[in-house]
Amino acid sequence: MNQPATSDVWYFPKDGLTELIRVLQEDGFDVIGPTVDQGAIVYASIQSAEDLPKGLTDIQEAGSYRLEKRNDESLFGYVVGPHSWKKFLFPPISVVAAADRIEGHWEFSTPEEPQRPFAFLGVRACELAAIRVQDQVFLKGPYVDPIYQRRRESAFLIAVNCTQAASTCFCTSMKTGPRCQSGYDLGLTELKDGFLLEIGSERGQQLSRSLSLRPTTAAEMAEGDLRRQQAADQIHRTLETDGLPNLLKQNLRSSHWDDVGRRCLSCTNCTMVCPTCFCSSVTEVADLNGDHINRERRWDSCFNPEFSYMHSGIARDSIPSRYRQWMTHKLSSWHDQFGTSGCVGCGRCITWCPTGIDLTVEVLAIREAAATVESVDRGTNHE
Amino acid sequence: MIHQQPNILKMLSESRFTENLNNQQLQSLCRASRVHSLPAGTILFQEGELEDEVFVISSGHVRLSMSVPGRGNVVLLTSGPGDLVGWSGLISDGRMTATAVAADDCVLVALSGKRVRELCETDPQLGYVLMIRLARVLSQRILATRLQLLDLFRPGGDSR
Amino acid sequence: MSNPWQLSSARIVEKTAETPGVATYVLQLTDDSLRRRFQFRPGQFNMLYVPGLGEAAISISGNPIQEGLIPHTIREAGNVTHAISSLSTGDTLGLRGPFGSSWPTELCEDRDVILVAGGIGLAPLRPVIFDMLSNRDRYRRCTVLMGARDPSGLLYESDYEDWKRRGVDVLVTSDRPADGWHGNVGVVTTLLDRLPLPDPASALLMTCGPEVMMWYTAQTAVARGIAEESIYVSLERNMNCAIGLCGHCQFGPHFLCKDGPVFRFDKVASILRISDL
Repeated sequence: MNQPATSDVWYFPKDGLTELIRVLQEDGFDVIGPTVDQGAIVYASIQSAEDLPKGLTDIQEAGSYRLEKRNDESLFGYVVGPHSWKKFLFPPISVVAAADRIEGHWEFSTPEEPQRPFAFLGVRACELAAIRVQDQVFLKGPYVDPIYQRRRESAFLIAVNCTQAASTCFCTSMKTGPRCQSGYDLGLTELKDGFLLEIGSERGQQLSRSLSLRPTTAAEMAEGDLRRQQAADQIHRTLETDGLPNLLKQNLRSSHWDDVGRRCLSCTNCTMVCPTCFCSSVTEVADLNGDHINRERRWDSCFNPEFSYMHSGIARDSIPSRYRQWMTHKLSSWHDQFGTSGCVGCGRCITWCPTGIDLTVEVLAIREAAATVESVDRGTNHE
Repeated sequence: MIHQQPNILKMLSESRFTENLNNQQLQSLCRASRVHSLPAGTILFQEGELEDEVFVISSGHVRLSMSVPGRGNVVLLTSGPGDLVGWSGLISDGRMTATAVAADDCVLVALSGKRVRELCETDPQLGYVLMIRLARVLSQRILATRLQLLDLFRPGGDSR
Repeated sequence: MSNPWQLSSARIVEKTAETPGVATYVLQLTDDSLRRRFQFRPGQFNMLYVPGLGEAAISISGNPIQEGLIPHTIREAGNVTHAISSLSTGDTLGLRGPFGSSWPTELCEDRDVILVAGGIGLAPLRPVIFDMLSNRDRYRRCTVLMGARDPSGLLYESDYEDWKRRGVDVLVTSDRPADGWHGNVGVVTTLLDRLPLPDPASALLMTCGPEVMMWYTAQTAVARGIAEESIYVSLERNMNCAIGLCGHCQFGPHFLCKDGPVFRFDKVASILRISDL
């Protein structure tokens, strides 16, 4: 077989996935992929293609998620669940530093836990975008997070193009999908009987040499196009991003924050499922005699009141103020901080909100309220 | 008293209350004014008394206090160069709402409240300017009082 | 690049009681090479760490050109600062830093400079005063306006006479009356109201204290003819990581730990008075 060239598209049959997983394992990777747990598709260590959610799909609405059987044997026939890859790159709990009392004085260290490199199987376009966003946060600022860096730099990314969309998806508005464009090592599109494979990096190229690939047929290429187009066609939710950062900045005193604040439980679900949210807190965890202390970084949320605790009081002591912080950070100040939106349009915060708060609807409400005020102002000026 | 006029003119033109008035307006105010020297510790006016004159501090400081049974004279504010004290005389009968004592040797310009009010009546343009400035002085006083009321440095407040 | 989470060991070499609940701790890094390398700019802060309790962000209140000694003036306010208050000379704690933006001493050349401090807010400004004293001829008029709740809160009071002798004017005020206090009574903005400002257009003002105090100080300064672009404030939010990665200290688009704590007033003016931001 010829060696595939970068940017070429190759084909392998369904059982080629088993080979791919085995090659990754032989290369020392901990292969993480979608699997079913407690009625949801989550990301976990997988041993073989058998662990993938075969013939299942997810039905998602604001505040609801359930799995259903498909009438085919698709392995990637669903979109995104409550997990995202940030769970592996930015672990929910990690030790950033440690202190040891040795002969009466303290010594400080920054432990480097041994970590098998990850291979992520099934990274969707919106998730590639989310990883890019977190790269910006953890790797591109004045300070680099060493824990994220170690995990990120060794990770091997196998993207999968969506062939369908959920009602909560709006990646097209955020210009992040549904097509995987870059940022992956290998890119897959699932066909009825096999996969199209695209090579996205030098590492991907090298690994592909161990796989049994053949060139594609025109029919297979057409089937891939059709399936990917189906995902794009199914996306109906939109978020108008034009002027959005300024719109929110100009409406920090909008009464709509109180409105959404009455519905929001401040439960933190949206921030936990969000693939870009990165808030955390470091807490002290001591052993029994207090001689060894781990400084543990844990995911935190701007929806927790204590998150903004200061000695003079809690800065954001109301749910409306916390919802405002979350949304304005995600959609407005993120641009100032990282040169990009903090939202990739994956829709997780909509699905997993227990009261079904939908940020696309909330933004629209703020936009409409602002437009009303503006037209009233204009009317007054003409009088 | 005539020899004091240029002096008053200078003092008035340096006070935030009366600076940047035109020469004619300043001259009119001068004619309603006198220089008043107040040695440290002397009382300028007493809370509850009627006082016709209002004072622009040229140099020195004046302590304003209110008398509270059991607590004596509680100092609420120190006024200094450029400040206006005894403003009640400009807008009412001049019943003082605080006692003013010189904290150090002071030189003040004392303006007759009655004369200034008459000037304002006959020259509404001057009246408008002076009332705006009086309002500004009072709004600064209110703000300063509110900030005192907030007690921003109370224990358990801002950690700095 | 070194690990930004790595703590260094620092020893307390001197502890001085200041105002009630406030003391200054002069720290010295125990590692020789770290000690020689440590440099900070006025207004920056360190994270001080007490094992088992955590870190607190504390501004450095020392002289930037004094090598090896790192003073922090600390008020007992939470768990960590309370624990620090029980430490004495010779004890060690952990330190990461320095972090954050600094006061614009490089813009002070040939300008009237006014520092307006409230309570312990004088501590982050003290490095600027040291700079004034070391380079007095670079500045024009130097004025410190210092306000406290009562006269007992006048931080570094025993130094004021020395500062005045060396050309830095100090005017103090007590927010409230106190027995035996013959000085000025009233909030610190009243001192700024009547401060002679012969050339407000060239004046530069730096303020540190409660947010409300800084806001009205800036308003007063603007009313006196000082440009918003010549006013600097030092803001405070909960700092957790100090390296812009944890999200705690966000204030609008800013991370106070890496974009602040010192901001030019016009950069934050539009969001300072929005409640619960």
